[in-house]
Amino acid sequence: MRIFTRSIVLGVCAALLNLGSPPVAQAGMIGTLEAVAAPGRAADLATVNAALARRQVREQFLALGVRPEHIEARVAALTDEELRSLARQVGDAPAGGSALAVIGVVFLVLLILEAVGVIDIFKKFP
Amino acid sequence: MLSPRRRPLPARALALAVLLLLGACATPRPGTVDWGGLPAAVELEQTPFFPQQDDQCGPAALATVLTSSGLSVTPADLVAEVYLPGRRGSLQAEMVAAARSRGRLPYRLPPQPEALLAELEAGRPVLVLQQLGVGPWPLWHYAVLVGIDAARERVLLRSGVEQRLEMKASRFLASWQRAGSWALVTLRPGELPARPLLEPYMEAAAGFEALERFADAELAYAAAAAAWPGSALPRLGLANVAFARGDLRRAESGYRAAVALDPRNIVALNNRAEALLRWGCPAQALRVAGEAQALAAGGPFEPAVRATLAGIAASAELDRASCPSN
Repeated sequence: MRIFTRSIVLGVCAALLNLGSPPVAQAGMIGTLEAVAAPGRAADLATVNAALARRQVREQFLALGVRPEHIEARVAALTDEELRSLARQVGDAPAGGSALAVIGVVFLVLLILEAVGVIDIFKKFP
Repeated sequence: MLSPRRRPLPARALALAVLLLLGACATPRPGTVDWGGLPAAVELEQTPFFPQQDDQCGPAALATVLTSSGLSVTPADLVAEVYLPGRRGSLQAEMVAAARSRGRLPYRLPPQPEALLAELEAGRPVLVLQQLGVGPWPLWHYAVLVGIDAARERVLLRSGVEQRLEMKASRFLASWQRAGSWALVTLRPGELPARPLLEPYMEAAAGFEALERFADAELAYAAAAAAWPGSALPRLGLANVAFARGDLRRAESGYRAAVALDPRNIVALNNRAEALLRWGCPAQALRVAGEAQALAAGGPFEPAVRATLAGIAASAELDRASCPSN
């Protein structure tokens, strides 16, 4: 039983230590993604710390309501470059979601027509 | 996403009117949509439809294109991967990542309408981002383009809860262009888009390599090597996959092929030096890394080349007899 418990504890520790560590890179190797990136972006890749970006995206995902058990997989699915760009703008990058835009547009058009005096339907409006 | 501002109603309405008019100026007039001079009339009727739940047009639209590319996936499967509750939507980067994680190459199309048409004619529905809001109220929406009827100036979409949304082509294109002309097809590894462009294709393929999906990366690089036989990039990619798998002989000859096509390719030179070093050929590695060093000075790859040289300096071995001679 003790061995069983110990092996579980060891397993959990190993899993925790492994959490969020990026794939092991060879010291001097350059990946194809860096080779294909435009020179300006390659410079950016070299300067912005990938580990920091990873941590920031993880924190932002948590703050934006991603369930904790899904966060690691989602962060792991992103390339370093995607992580860096998300770390900068996860709060205001376009997030496609709504299909109800048309109603809003119709309302706004009515509002504008009212404001410029073409129509007069919002009489009770202060 | 709303930014509440407390200004008097007329002032706000006026500001909106100005914004709307500006937008209207940018909207192409009906009849001016150019589909590349092709008599476009295509509808991919077989494209599946997943009606969107709540704000989850991202999962629905992504499931539509992934299913069309031969996967069995539902929007519910994708919610945990691409839906961001705090933003009530899905980010483009995560849509790309989710496709890649499922072994589909997310190829971003160039921002021309004819690129959309070319994909439809090749039988692939196109995932698009639209910006349907006005002024300070952006409303981002993912939909799937499944048809174009140039004569009637209409496009057909799987959009939200609409299985076959018909939209004026000029209005659709304006909403698409306001969203940065973002359009994506999900390709099977090894499949090329209708009008392939080397760099966007290689960038998408390299995403597989970066996430250690080496089999998918290899298929995509091989297709690129066949499509662009004169380019060093696909050879470099194939060699990087071989290196990652520990196949140093194939990696080394692949880097050599890349350098033959592009003698000033720092990445191929640097990685060839690494492969030579690991193969037991430090003297050869030093010569090749020296070439890389001269080209890399002051550039983004300088640190990597320096690390390669440091590794070679730390090696005390002599070249084996089996080392390549050139």
